[in-house]
Amino acid sequence: MVRVSGPDAGVLLCRLASDLAEVPEPRRATLVKLQDPDDGSSLDRAVVTFYQGPASYTGENLVELTCHGGRLVPSLIADALMRAGGRQATPGEFTKRAYLRGKLDLVQVEAVADLVEARSRAMHRAALGHLERGLSRRITKLREGIVGLEAMLVHHIDFPEEDDPPVPVTRIVDEASWIIKEIAKMLRTAPEGQLLREGALTVLAGQPNVGKSSLYNALVGEERAIVTEEPGTTRDALEVAVQLGGFPFRLVDTAGLRDGGERIEQLGIEVARRYLDSADLVLLCVSAIDRLSVGELAFLSEATDSPVVLVETKIDLLAKRDVDYGGLGLPVDMREKLAGHLRVSAMTGEGLDQVKQLLPELVYSAVVSAKEEVPVLTRRRHALALEVALSEVSDFTEALADGLPAEVASTHLRAAATALEEILGVISVDDVLDAVFAEFCVGK
Amino acid sequence: MRNFYGVIVVGGGHAGAEAASASARAGVRTLLITPDLSRIGQMSCNPAIGGVAKGVVAREVDALGGLMGQATDASRIQFRMLNRSKGPAVWGPRAQCDRALYPLAVRRVLERLELLDLFQDMVSDLIVDKGRVRGVRTPGGLVFGAETVVVTTGTFLRGRIHIGGEQGMDAGRAGEAPSLDLAEGLEGLGLEVARFKTGTPPRIDGRTVDFQKVERQDGDVSNYRFSAYAREPIPEQRPCWITWAGKDLKSVVLENLERSALYGGHISGQGPRYCPSIEDKIVRFPDAPRHQVFLEPEGLETTELYVNGLSTSLPPDVQLEIMRTIPGLEEVVMTKVGYAIEYDYFPPHQLRQTLELKQIEGLYFAGQINGTTGYEEAAGQGIVAGINAALKVRGEKSFVLGRDEAYLGVLIDDLVTKGVDEPYRLFTSRAEFRLLLRQDNAPRRLGLLAKNRGLLTLQQDEALRERLEEENRLLHWFRETNIEPARVEELLSDADSGALHQPVRASELLRRPRVDGRELLSAMGKSVQGQLAEEALIAVEVELKYEGYVRRERERAQRLREQAGFVLSEDLPYLEFLSLSHEAREKLAGVRPATLAQAARIPGVSPADLQNLILEVRRLKSSQGSTLAS
Repeated sequence: MVRVSGPDAGVLLCRLASDLAEVPEPRRATLVKLQDPDDGSSLDRAVVTFYQGPASYTGENLVELTCHGGRLVPSLIADALMRAGGRQATPGEFTKRAYLRGKLDLVQVEAVADLVEARSRAMHRAALGHLERGLSRRITKLREGIVGLEAMLVHHIDFPEEDDPPVPVTRIVDEASWIIKEIAKMLRTAPEGQLLREGALTVLAGQPNVGKSSLYNALVGEERAIVTEEPGTTRDALEVAVQLGGFPFRLVDTAGLRDGGERIEQLGIEVARRYLDSADLVLLCVSAIDRLSVGELAFLSEATDSPVVLVETKIDLLAKRDVDYGGLGLPVDMREKLAGHLRVSAMTGEGLDQVKQLLPELVYSAVVSAKEEVPVLTRRRHALALEVALSEVSDFTEALADGLPAEVASTHLRAAATALEEILGVISVDDVLDAVFAEFCVGK
Repeated sequence: MRNFYGVIVVGGGHAGAEAASASARAGVRTLLITPDLSRIGQMSCNPAIGGVAKGVVAREVDALGGLMGQATDASRIQFRMLNRSKGPAVWGPRAQCDRALYPLAVRRVLERLELLDLFQDMVSDLIVDKGRVRGVRTPGGLVFGAETVVVTTGTFLRGRIHIGGEQGMDAGRAGEAPSLDLAEGLEGLGLEVARFKTGTPPRIDGRTVDFQKVERQDGDVSNYRFSAYAREPIPEQRPCWITWAGKDLKSVVLENLERSALYGGHISGQGPRYCPSIEDKIVRFPDAPRHQVFLEPEGLETTELYVNGLSTSLPPDVQLEIMRTIPGLEEVVMTKVGYAIEYDYFPPHQLRQTLELKQIEGLYFAGQINGTTGYEEAAGQGIVAGINAALKVRGEKSFVLGRDEAYLGVLIDDLVTKGVDEPYRLFTSRAEFRLLLRQDNAPRRLGLLAKNRGLLTLQQDEALRERLEEENRLLHWFRETNIEPARVEELLSDADSGALHQPVRASELLRRPRVDGRELLSAMGKSVQGQLAEEALIAVEVELKYEGYVRRERERAQRLREQAGFVLSEDLPYLEFLSLSHEAREKLAGVRPATLAQAARIPGVSPADLQNLILEVRRLKSSQGSTLAS
């Protein structure tokens, strides 16, 4: 599809579609013959739709040409449009125009970028929620709540001799605590929300030949990442993006380490040290048929700050050898430290479903439990602003409790309201907006 | 009287008196011309000055060298600090004034100004030539030439009074003729004009009030002075009285509603929501069981009382009937009837921040003519217009106060940027920087600004210097004095504040809740003697006590000023900026903001519009730059 936006979008269309006497009726699909504006040669038969601004995506006049696919036809049409007076859109320009015409707020703009970039159903869902103003509405409501708090205070400052008594401080504090709770609830999804953008870094660790590669291949093979060809999908060659249960993960293939020599030699555990500290989850793979080695026990007790899931591999072998479960020799106190304990067979596929179920639950518990009600904070910018708002409103109630005068305490409310306003839109004399729109690498 | 003046001020109300005295103090030969010299500085509505936000404005006018503070001190017969129970940043000094003494004090101060002439006459027309004002003309054909003219005609332009449901009568105030010719003349200059209405309540004979049935309200025992520069003797004090209008009044009002000019459909102008007539109160708040009524003394030498809360356009017989339903007023005799008044105003988006008209050079408007209400708002505009008119004559840079510098800055910026859709009154909530705009720090905020522009008299200069020196001494003491725990043990336990374990700075201790500056000084063996020291202490104490908060506000103000650094030239082709919404284009073209920050405050201009504006201005600059290259 080719799209044209701007005051003359309809005029440009008419220059290519000579059988159109005038711009077609808005929002009605029309079949037209497209011709080269210079030599009149036929380009394609296409369905075109005209949108009259401001009732369009960009808020300007907009034409959508649904043409035949392939590489040549759309580019011929685009080329002809440019010769007829158009120009190539810069990255993100359509959305930028929509923002500048007030059709989208800044959160929605970001959601468009996220939607285009989404690599998991969860991210897709979050972005779509933002695009439908889920987050914007929430923030607008919070801001109104904060402004309302100030109004309660100020009323009695400005009208001290009126018939109505002042609003009791207890009521103001009640209202404020509602706002504090609400912001805190939204912030709970923030760390995970940011993981949704990149995928949770999940490191498979374990001794050589415990079956890491088989598990890894089973997980990658079944749920291949959606855009693996695109560079930048993962940070380096060791990472592969996958979605498990609809949530994004970056699986780290430590099997590749053998040449790099980054294994933790003294433990005999293969794991990339540089990943260990930043991992969101570590899957320590051990063989179900062996007792835990000294190295594995040491790894478990030292390990990292990241949650560790113990994964027993090759459970298909247990049946053959008729060995009872519990032969691992896992000390009780260590069992408590584990984030989870799974048993899989990459060979039979047994237990893989449990992996796909448990991993999202572990990493994305707040998002999973938030469901549709609470918008997920997928961007650091949103979380930072909400944190500012939260601390300002908390400081406000503390200030009131300390007996500070209302008009002094209310400076916190103004700061909180400003922080929220900045989420929805910023007016910048410098290039903050350019930075926002630079995220777009396609011309949506 | 001369033929030519630097500044001519038309009108002698609160705006006119301040404008004339300001330009004379600024060293410019000035004429004040008004229909009745005996009514200069008259209080047309309630006999009180100040209140929340308004009191700060009165202090600001004073700090700039104006009359209002001094005249209030000389005539105040009751004083109350409103919001005393709240924080000092929102204290609102308010004085009941003797209606006769106030104008006398104004006249006295005006007549001491060497460069000011007073003249009693109407002005029928302005002389304007090639977009510049040249002088004024009187109905008798007298002509005065001027470099600048300040028009402060209040409610007199096509004023029309309504008492009850008849057609109304032409008047500027009760018993005074309106200005019809001047209104026509101004409209003839191509200015946009609109109508507002306001109202005033009846006055009564105090001898007919049963004071047993009303509640007495005395003022504060205080030698508070509005003026930081002059020390007027304070008159004897008088109480106010409070009573209540209940359901009997309600039924009388409802029975007679169609006889009210307001509800009979005879008034088209918009009135102020926060100063409603009694008809409005009854209709709009049908569930309110009662409404407060203040009986305010009109003066020391009269028993007449002003019935605050009963502003009305009902006919006289109904006014009397409703008053007689009120406890204490059963036998009351009315001395003056209440009335509603409609008048012309000129929507203030036609003004620059200096209050000079954009269309006519040298012509300034101040006061109710700009759609405001209130003596303080009028005086504040008057002094700013007078200063700017004088500075223009002197060929100097204009005088514009920021929203973070003064309520006057908020007032004028609101007027010229947002316009008005009802008579405009100041509130603390209109200010973004309430903590900075206090009554206590007016001299520090504005005194030096005025002094540096040569707007203060020698005596005012001297008083300002003393005041600031005292503040600095106190600030220094609090910041530099270490306090031993033993010295303040008792003070802290009295204040229910934790004991000290090691010496701390006095300023540190002052930041604790309930720790009082004066007590701290006295615990350290220092006393605060005299009014100057007391006033300075209040200012210093607030500044230090809420230092962190005050600093935050200053930082926020600074950030806003940076946005104000994006300058928008006055000739931008807003209507051609098609990327802006239609509404924004029209609004911007009407207001022609000076900076991006001002543009941001215009209602109907969205953040997206502002962003587009930045882009458009840049585009314009680059295209202008490239024309030569082609």
